[in-house]
Amino acid sequence: MRLVINNLNKSYKNGIKAIDNLNLEIGTGMFGLLGPNGAGKSSLMRTIATLQKPDKGSISFGDINVLEDNTSLREVLGYLPQSFGVYPKTSAEDLLIYFAMLKGISNKNDRKKIVKEVLEITNLYEVRKKYVDGYSGGMKQRFGIAQMLLNNPKLIIVDEPTAGLDPAERHRFLNVLREIGTNSTVIFSTHIVEDVKELCNDMAILNGGRIIKKITPEKATEEIKGQIWTRTIERNQLESVEKQYDILSSNYNQDNTLNIRVHSYEKPSEDFKEAIPELDDVYFISLKQDNLS
Amino acid sequence: MFLPIFRHELKYWFKKPSFYIYVFVFLIASLAISSGIAGFFNNLDPTKEIPKLVNSPSGIFNIYNTLTTLIYFLFPSIIGHSVYRDYKCGVYSILYSYPFTKANYLFAKFFSAITIVTIIVLVIGAGIFVGFRLPGIDANLVGSFSFTSYLQTYLIYIMPNILLYGAIIFSVVIFSRSILTGFIAFLVLLMIQVLMASLLSDHEIISALFNPSGASALVYYTKYWTTIELNTLDLPIKGFIIYNRLLWLSVSVLVFASVYKYFSFSQQSVSFSFKKVKGSRLTKSNFGSITKVNLPKIKLNFSFFSNLKTTWKLSNLDLRYIVKSAPFVVIIIVGVIVLISEYIGSQSFRGTYRLPVTWKMLEYSEAYVLATMICTFLYAGMLGIRSKVANVNLLVDSSPTPNWVFVSSRFLAIIKMQFIMLLLIMIVGISYQIYNGYTDFEISHYLFDLFVLNFSANILWAFLAILVQTLAKNMYIGLLILIVLFFVLNTPLISALGLEHNVFKYANGSWYNYSDMNGYGNYLLKYFIYRLYWLLAGLLFLIVSILFSVRGVVFSFRERLSMAKNNFKGKMLIAFNLFLILFVSMGYVIYSESNKVDKIVSNTQKLEYNVEWEKKYRKYEKYSQPRIVAVKVNFDIFPNQLSFDLKGQYTMVNKSEETIDSIFIKYKDYPSTFELDEANTFVSNDSIYRFNIYKLEKSLKKGDSVTLNFTIKSKPNTVFGNNSLVLENGTSISKSKLMPTIGYRPSGIKDNAIRVKYGLTAQNKKAHPSDSTALGNNLISRDADWIDFEATLSTRADQIAIAPGSLIREWIQDGRRYFNYKVDSKMLNIYSFNSGRYEVKKDKWNDVDLEIYYHKAHSYNLDRMMAGIKASLKYNSENFGDYQHKQLRIIEYPKTLGGGAQAYPSIIPFSESHGFIADVDDSQEGGIDYPFAVTVHEVSHQWWAHQVMGANVLGATMLTESLAEYVRLKALEKQHGKDKMYKFLKYASKHYLSGRKNDSMGEEPLMYNSGQQYIRYSKGAIVFYALSDYIGEKKLNKVLKNFMQKNKFKEAPYVTSIELVNSIRKSTPDSLKYIIKDMFETITLYDNKIVSFETHKLENGKYRVDIEFNISKYRTNKNGSVSYSDNKPDSLVYKSTESLSSLPLEDYIDIGVFAREEVNGKSTVVELYLEKHKITSINNKISIIVNEKPYEVGIDPYIKLIDRNHDDNRIINKGIVN
Repeated sequence: MRLVINNLNKSYKNGIKAIDNLNLEIGTGMFGLLGPNGAGKSSLMRTIATLQKPDKGSISFGDINVLEDNTSLREVLGYLPQSFGVYPKTSAEDLLIYFAMLKGISNKNDRKKIVKEVLEITNLYEVRKKYVDGYSGGMKQRFGIAQMLLNNPKLIIVDEPTAGLDPAERHRFLNVLREIGTNSTVIFSTHIVEDVKELCNDMAILNGGRIIKKITPEKATEEIKGQIWTRTIERNQLESVEKQYDILSSNYNQDNTLNIRVHSYEKPSEDFKEAIPELDDVYFISLKQDNLS
Repeated sequence: MFLPIFRHELKYWFKKPSFYIYVFVFLIASLAISSGIAGFFNNLDPTKEIPKLVNSPSGIFNIYNTLTTLIYFLFPSIIGHSVYRDYKCGVYSILYSYPFTKANYLFAKFFSAITIVTIIVLVIGAGIFVGFRLPGIDANLVGSFSFTSYLQTYLIYIMPNILLYGAIIFSVVIFSRSILTGFIAFLVLLMIQVLMASLLSDHEIISALFNPSGASALVYYTKYWTTIELNTLDLPIKGFIIYNRLLWLSVSVLVFASVYKYFSFSQQSVSFSFKKVKGSRLTKSNFGSITKVNLPKIKLNFSFFSNLKTTWKLSNLDLRYIVKSAPFVVIIIVGVIVLISEYIGSQSFRGTYRLPVTWKMLEYSEAYVLATMICTFLYAGMLGIRSKVANVNLLVDSSPTPNWVFVSSRFLAIIKMQFIMLLLIMIVGISYQIYNGYTDFEISHYLFDLFVLNFSANILWAFLAILVQTLAKNMYIGLLILIVLFFVLNTPLISALGLEHNVFKYANGSWYNYSDMNGYGNYLLKYFIYRLYWLLAGLLFLIVSILFSVRGVVFSFRERLSMAKNNFKGKMLIAFNLFLILFVSMGYVIYSESNKVDKIVSNTQKLEYNVEWEKKYRKYEKYSQPRIVAVKVNFDIFPNQLSFDLKGQYTMVNKSEETIDSIFIKYKDYPSTFELDEANTFVSNDSIYRFNIYKLEKSLKKGDSVTLNFTIKSKPNTVFGNNSLVLENGTSISKSKLMPTIGYRPSGIKDNAIRVKYGLTAQNKKAHPSDSTALGNNLISRDADWIDFEATLSTRADQIAIAPGSLIREWIQDGRRYFNYKVDSKMLNIYSFNSGRYEVKKDKWNDVDLEIYYHKAHSYNLDRMMAGIKASLKYNSENFGDYQHKQLRIIEYPKTLGGGAQAYPSIIPFSESHGFIADVDDSQEGGIDYPFAVTVHEVSHQWWAHQVMGANVLGATMLTESLAEYVRLKALEKQHGKDKMYKFLKYASKHYLSGRKNDSMGEEPLMYNSGQQYIRYSKGAIVFYALSDYIGEKKLNKVLKNFMQKNKFKEAPYVTSIELVNSIRKSTPDSLKYIIKDMFETITLYDNKIVSFETHKLENGKYRVDIEFNISKYRTNKNGSVSYSDNKPDSLVYKSTESLSSLPLEDYIDIGVFAREEVNGKSTVVELYLEKHKITSINNKISIIVNEKPYEVGIDPYIKLIDRNHDDNRIINKGIVN
């Protein structure tokens, strides 16, 4: 099923255009939504998840007119917001049974079965009797996935889920997502390029409420092959170099020198070596170009 | 660093819209209420002769203090918020590491919040000031502006209370880091205050000292202030008021100081836990990964039925949350305590309580109702924002469960909670009954009353609560709105806005009334119709709540509105319209049907009706009319159909000197027919004022008689009106509710301010007893003197029907029971008809048959009543003359008809709630045995009313009620001994003093009273009791006997109070003549006080008591203004620490010395010395020698004199000085 977004607009009271005439089509599989903080990712995700009304535009998912028929979308939706809390003094199991009820699983045995399954998938079965408000960040995030899976959703929206997770948790999380993503549409927002690189078969870069690039990750790096150059400079050179070249990123080495990456269609100077393009480069180039326009 | 934080805080508030909303709301509220009580809405009873100024010092105190109390509800969100905000935003972790001191932080936070509160308080003050001066208010009610009144109320009461409550809530929030906990603390404080008020109502001094609001201390000093004093005097600042304020101010300082001491810039909130927490090390364990997700196939079900199931389950989860949460637990605990204290302290009648009968247990306290309501309002809000507070709302909101499931589940949870709270009443009630050894449990009565009647009313508030809390942005504002709505809808305030009919007042409607004798009568159908009607409105509220309930993130109300509009379709739209149509049409039907029954709805309309009546027909007032000399009645009572059928006959005689050419008949609102046995023409038939005029063809000359035959039928009963006065069991109908009268009847509008306003001429309340032209009628009847009476009553076979007189014949005919009564003596034109399923207790006193007709379950106090009958018959017949009837009957009637007892010739209808279920405590501490005492009083009326009746002029009730009270006190004295009289006189004194305080028509001296209860009963009782003490019981009774013999069954000109007072004067020695003036002719009060006393042990083993005391005597005029001289500058003045004045004194006043002795293991106060001393000056010192060790001394210790503060009349010994 495809998610189609047309001419979506949303302005806030303080004058910020969170979503600016946005058009997007997303098919089955993992879709990465990459963007800096404040790009409008969460606004877009909430809007798709029927939790916020746009000023204008339309969204459809398969046959469902999302904005008109909230309930139908919610029936197939799995949503994990950027941050969420839980009712205090409630165990994971009780809370999942509660969510299962809300998600329309009316049969008691069904509820038990699915809750047990999602607890096992998310490796929370051992701690199912513990209060969720006592969970660590990673456990809580896993709990978030668990509740998301309860209704076997067709559309999954996860908003910056990896922020704050340790590497192992992050991997585990991404693996589960990938596994679910084979049969449903997963929209996955992040400001960490790595996540997208590892996971997504399609992606878009969002900035200032607009999609500034929509492309598959492979194609994206393919596109800029031969345009990324790198060299090592002294620290005090940075300023002059910045004026000369289109610097994408600069990283310190152990000896206090800097590795810089530059975008250029030709070799900028002899000191530069050609580098293998990374998704990061694509991301920075897009953002820079968006700022210029 | 104080100032920057302080300024920052203020800036924060000034930017917040909610601050302006608070200001605006309180401004409007204070404007509306102040202008309202000043008559802006034209809602008040038309002006009184002595208006109570709304802006007098006490008026300002009342309104200003009450309005500011409402701000306390905002304290958690203003004062609590100031610190909570730092936690909420997480700023605290940064803030606490900044270099400012604890003191700076706390003071700045606290006082900035107090400043915000103070601004609102000042706005309220301004609102009151302006409200009293809006054009259109009643200028009579507003006096001149006095800034001091506002300032005093603010400085002495409002500000310290704000600091107190503020400090407590501040400290709770700062330590618990939760506004909700602050709110609970506030509720606890509120409940404690309510609790103290109800528990300490009999302990004025403790209450004055410890009631945190300080209002009780003020009341202690002003409770007996008359209107004029309230209007003119500044509020006192002395004694208990100062102590109370200092006490609570230091409590606030203490609270704040402990906040300072224990607060630290730490990261952990204070929490209490009884479980020991075991620490365990947290290590990472899940390194594995997952590669396959295989979810089991499950069925999603979104059917209506499945949603209903979900609703029920969710409501159980919500209920569990409520029951486990702290506010509920706290409110329940306090509520139950209040309930129990209400049971314990409930309405004693002169110190005697009622048995814990079930209806008494169900009359649960208003505080408990309030607790239920607060829980309802609070949890409607808390459940609504629960998911948001836990930040789980986005997960919940994105689930496919529809809005209506969420909203309905919250509603269900709340009504389940209400159910639990009602159940508690039953549990507490039954436990209380068991505790008291009362075992007549009426479980079904509990169940029906609580879970059908009350529950159906409570759920209406759940609907409204859900609606308001859904729409309100802030839960606490929602709570405040709901509480205000609750009060507005439950007090006459709403009628003040012009909405008098119940169909306009949500959750109002006809109420029900229960009686053991007659159950719920026929109230229920009407009750349920209104419940159903408002249920429809409630369902509309529920739909609107569903439409407006927020899903996801919403930024403005406009957005909510458009969302609601979008959701308003399909089934919602159909259901809404269906309920709306049903609601409106049902409202229309109720409105028109109930108006058909009761055409006159509002008080103003009733007043206007009476005004018109007087304007139209008063011209016939002076027309001579024949007077009724005999009454014959056939009265058929149908308890099944609740109807009656009456045939009556009046025999009338022209007793006047004039010839009579027309007869005027005024009849009651029942289908009636009239027929005169003299030829006549029906001249005028006015069915609006129900006044018929017949012109006789042959005029009646003096001594001629004429007979009037008439029939009266009850109107058919409808749902909204029971028109017949007949009850299924316990019918008791007095003559005045049923029988036609002859001639013009006064409209009853007595207040001259009203009379003038409506274009009637001002007149005296009653004629003066010296007006010899006004003695033609007695107090009871304008169309008869002493009559013969015969009645034949019929009723259902299982009931007994009773009217005055001897039972001549009893028979059964067509399955109905008939009774023929005939009165053996002359009697006043006053009688009643009774019918019920009675048990009968019989006894005899001399030749008189004594009978008590009672409800089977109410046999508790029959012996006491019987003793009362005998005591009264004995005292009255021994002292004043023979009893005129051959029988005396007490008849119980349902409490729904009233709560007292009335004396008719030879029968005394007696309410089931008054005496039959009294729980008399015969010990020394017990209150009055009122089943006995009331009986004595009513039986005395067989002499003092039914043998001697005064003219219908001022002071007439002194001849009936005051003398019946006198006999009552004498009988009590004989039964209980003199010692207990102190207690009885205290009740009378209290009743008198608080009665005169509220008399807006003005007080008169006893012998010129216009019928005020506090004068005719209570002052009368004190005066005649004191008089018998001063001149001697025998001497007084002899005067009374002569008076009785002279005036027995006397017709016009009727006797007056002047004649009795003159005879008393003749028998009073010259030295005591002043008491006649003090007691009867003027309003005279004393302010007597023991200043000090010392006890010295003498060598002969005796004790000398040196007493210093002050006596001050003064008179007041009808407005209550005090004077210390009778038209001459002859008052006494005494100056010590304060300056005292008095009327000249030549007075004899009791001085008593008392010891405390162990009698039968109980310590009792025993009289050592009691003598009247002649007092001539204000300050007096005397020495008395007594044989035993004194415990207590007293000046006028038995309070035979009227004194507004008799707490200082007795002082307890502090030890012996040698």
